[in-house]
Amino acid sequence: MEALVNDAEFIDLGIPVEIGKIDKTLGELWDSSDDTKTRASLINLVVYTESDATLAADNAVLASVAGRHACRAILILGNPSAPVSEAKAWISAHCHLLGKGTRQICSEQITFRLDGDAANALPNIVFSHLDSDLPLCLWWKADFPEPLDEKLWAWVDRLIFDSVSWHKPHHQFSMIRHISSSGKSAAVLCDLNWTRLHAWRFALASQFDNAAAFPHLSHVESITLRCAPHSQIAALLLLGWLAGRLKWTLDVENRAFRTSRGDVISFHIEETPGPNLSFVSIKSSDARFELKLAEGSDFFESSIQTPGIPEICQILPAPRERLEETLLAELSRAGRHKLYTESLEIILPLLKS
Amino acid sequence: MSSDILRSNPLREGLAQRSIPDPCTLVIFGATGDLTHRKLVPALYNLAADGALPPAISVVGFARRDKSDDVFRGELEEAARKFSRQAINDDLWKNFASSICYHRSEFDNLEGYEALARRLDEMDAARGTGGNRLFYLAAGPDQFEVILENLRKSGLNKARPGAWSRVIVEKPFGTDLPSAKRLNDLVENAFDESETFRIDHYLGKETAQNIIVLRFANALFEAMWNSRYIDHVQITASEPLGVEGRAGYYEKSGALRDMVQNHLLQLLCLTAMEPPPGLDADSIRDEKVKVLRSLRPLTGEDVFKHVVRAQYGAGSINGKRVAAYRDELNVNPESVTETFVAMELNVDNWRWAGVPFFIRVGKRLPKAATEIAVHFKSVPPVLFRATGESIDDNVLVIRIQPDEGISLRMSAKMPGSSLRIEPVKMDFHYGTSFGKATPEAYERLLLDAMSGDATLFARRDEVEQAWKFVDAIHEAWQHRSDDLAVYTSGSWGPGEADELTKRHEAAWRRL
Repeated sequence: MEALVNDAEFIDLGIPVEIGKIDKTLGELWDSSDDTKTRASLINLVVYTESDATLAADNAVLASVAGRHACRAILILGNPSAPVSEAKAWISAHCHLLGKGTRQICSEQITFRLDGDAANALPNIVFSHLDSDLPLCLWWKADFPEPLDEKLWAWVDRLIFDSVSWHKPHHQFSMIRHISSSGKSAAVLCDLNWTRLHAWRFALASQFDNAAAFPHLSHVESITLRCAPHSQIAALLLLGWLAGRLKWTLDVENRAFRTSRGDVISFHIEETPGPNLSFVSIKSSDARFELKLAEGSDFFESSIQTPGIPEICQILPAPRERLEETLLAELSRAGRHKLYTESLEIILPLLKS
Repeated sequence: MSSDILRSNPLREGLAQRSIPDPCTLVIFGATGDLTHRKLVPALYNLAADGALPPAISVVGFARRDKSDDVFRGELEEAARKFSRQAINDDLWKNFASSICYHRSEFDNLEGYEALARRLDEMDAARGTGGNRLFYLAAGPDQFEVILENLRKSGLNKARPGAWSRVIVEKPFGTDLPSAKRLNDLVENAFDESETFRIDHYLGKETAQNIIVLRFANALFEAMWNSRYIDHVQITASEPLGVEGRAGYYEKSGALRDMVQNHLLQLLCLTAMEPPPGLDADSIRDEKVKVLRSLRPLTGEDVFKHVVRAQYGAGSINGKRVAAYRDELNVNPESVTETFVAMELNVDNWRWAGVPFFIRVGKRLPKAATEIAVHFKSVPPVLFRATGESIDDNVLVIRIQPDEGISLRMSAKMPGSSLRIEPVKMDFHYGTSFGKATPEAYERLLLDAMSGDATLFARRDEVEQAWKFVDAIHEAWQHRSDDLAVYTSGSWGPGEADELTKRHEAAWRRL
C-alpha cells in the first residue's frame, strides 16, 4: 500500500481517512491486497508525542519495529495548545518479506493528529482503535500531564517512556510512581533508559560468575562511571541497581553508599562525549572489574583483574544505541521490572539534589 | 566454583531466565569433522555473540590429523563464516578464537589423553576455567568406546573437588538395545548418569519445547487432550533428500533406527505424556519414559499389520530425475534397508486408550516437513445432517520445521443465504509473530550442558526403552523381506501406508 495523498505536514503517513471510517477503510485495504500478504499482530503499540520535529523519525521507528514485532501501531501527535480544534487520521501498512519466501507479513498503522480540544479525546481515540484482546503498550514521548487521566492508564499493560530526555526527572519519576502506586493501573513501567542498561547489567553480572571474582562483590570500595552529558540518569540507575542488589544504602550527604557493615563505597560519575555510558569500573581492595564501550561498537571490552589468576578479557554484546533496537528489546521482554523500581527508589534523592 | 554459588550471584537476579553456564573447557572429540564445523562451532560463536558463554571458557579440538592451533582456528573461522546464523564480527571472533586450541592424538592412544589432562590443567590455571570439563563425543560412534575408556584410564572423567566433568554423547546411542546398553554401560563406567548428556537435537528445537507450553499453558487444549476428544494423532517427518553420501551409515540403520527410535518417539512422548510435577529434567523425563513403557509392543505378525516399510525407487524431486535407493553410490543393489516407515502405535494408558498414533518418516518425499497433527473427533452428525454438508474434523497442527508454528482447522459457515460449511485455518507462524531469529538447537543444548541442565537430553532408560520397542519391529523384519514396498521418489510413500490410516477411517494429512 502506498500513500495516495501527501499532506504538507504528514509525508508518508499513508492514506488520509475520516476517523469514523478507519476500520472500514482498513478492511478494504486488506481485501484488495493479494494472497501473499499476511496481517499479523501481537500487541497494540501506541506512540504519543507532542513534537512535530520527531514525527518523521517516530514514524520510521514504528515501521522498523512493526517489521520485526508484529503490531497494530497507533501514532498520535497531540498539540493541545493549538488554537483550532481538529482531528485528522491516516492509515498505512508496513510489510516485509518472511524469510526467503515471497509471503509478506504486514502490520497496520493508524496515525492521528489531535489539535486543540481534540487532544482531550486521546483516551477515546486509543480505546476505539485497539486490536481487541491484544496487550496495549503505550510509549509516552512527552512529559506526563497533570492530572493524569486514570481511565487511560488503567488500560495500559506496558507504559514505555525514556527518562534520558527528561529535563525535570525527579518530578517525572514522581508522576510515574504515582501512576504505578495509585492502584488504578497495573501497567508495567518500561523506561528505555533502563532497557539500555540491560546489556551493562548482564555484562557486569557475568564478570562475577567467575570463581575468582565472586567474593569481591562483598568488598567493593569504589565505582567509577563515564557517561554522556545527558545520561546522568542512566549512570545513576546503574548505581541504584548495584546498590539494591548488594544491599547498600545511600548516604545522600556524602554522595556515597554504605554496606550493612558500615563500609563506605564511593562513586564517581564523569561526563564525557560518546555513548550514553562508556565505562564502568568496580574496584575492591585488590581487584578491578572494567567494562568499556567504544563509540559505535556493538561489543564491550570486559576485563577482570583479580589476584592469583591472569587477567580475563572478554568481548560481550553491548546495547544497541538505535532507538528501534531499544524499543524492540523492551517489547521482547515480559514481566514486571521489579529491579527498576527498586533502583529508582534508591537514586531518587540524588535526582532531587 | 559450583553452580549453586554462581546462581547466588545477586547481580544475576531478573537478568536472564536461561541457564547460567559455568566456566569450563569444552573438549570436542572428532574436532575436524562435519558436526564440529557445521553445528558446534557456529553454535558456540552465536552463544559468544549473545554474551551467553561464561567469562572463562576454552575449547579444545581433539582429533587425529596433524595441525597447529592457528590452522585449526582458521578452519573453524571459515566454517563459522559459512554456517553461523549471525554474521561474524572480526573482533568477537578474534576474542573467541583465542580460547580455541588443537590437541592431536589418536583416539586409542592413552598417552594422548594423559597429555590432554596436563594441558587442561595448564589451561585451567591460565584461563580460570576452574577444572570444569565438558567432553563432546562428536566422532563416529565406532570411536565412542575407545574414547570413553581412555577418558576413564587417564582420570579425565573425574573432576577435582568443587568442579565437574560431563560428557555429551551424539546419536546414535547404539544400533539396537544390546549395543545401547553396552554403550550406556561404558558411559556409566566413566560418568554418572547426572554427568551424561545424550543429544537428540530435535529436543533443542524451539517448537519441540513449545509443545509443553502449548499443552500445559493453555486450558483450551489440555482439557481436550485425551481419548474422549481426540480421534488420532499423526506425526510426520519427511524430507526430499536421498541418502546423500551417507550410504555407509544408512545401510546399517534405515529410517526406523535413524529417525523413529529417537526423534519421532521423542515427539510422541512430548505429545502423549502426562503433566509433569515440575519442569526439572527428571520430572519431564519420568513422564516421557512412562509413555514409552505404555507403548503397545509390536512383535511377530503384528509388525506387518501395523508397520509399513518401503524404499524409494526412481522418480523426480523438484522437477529433477533422481535415482532409486538401490542405485545410489555405495548402496547394496539388493538392499532391503527401509527409507520410509509408517506405523500405527497405541499408547496403552487411561488417557490414550483407543487413540492411534500414526507415524511416518521418509526420504525422497515431496517436501521437507516435520509436524504433529492432532485430529479431533467428529461432532455428532445430528444438527447439520439435513443440509447434506460434510463437516471436516478439527485438526491442531504443531509444525516443528520448517515454518515453525501452530495451526487449527475448524469449520465456518460460508457467507450467503444457504448453510454451507467450509473448513478454515487459524494459523500462527513463529516467523510472522516473533521477527527475531530463533537460536539453533545446538546453541541451547550446549548451553544447557555447560549449565548441567539435562531437561532436553535423553536419559538412559528413555533410550533403552525406545530401543526395546524398535528392536522388536526390526527383529520381525529379519524373518522376511517380502513386505518391503517401493515408492516413487517424489510421492508420499507407498499405498500400503494409506491402508494403515484407512482402517481407522482416517487419511494421512496432505502437507
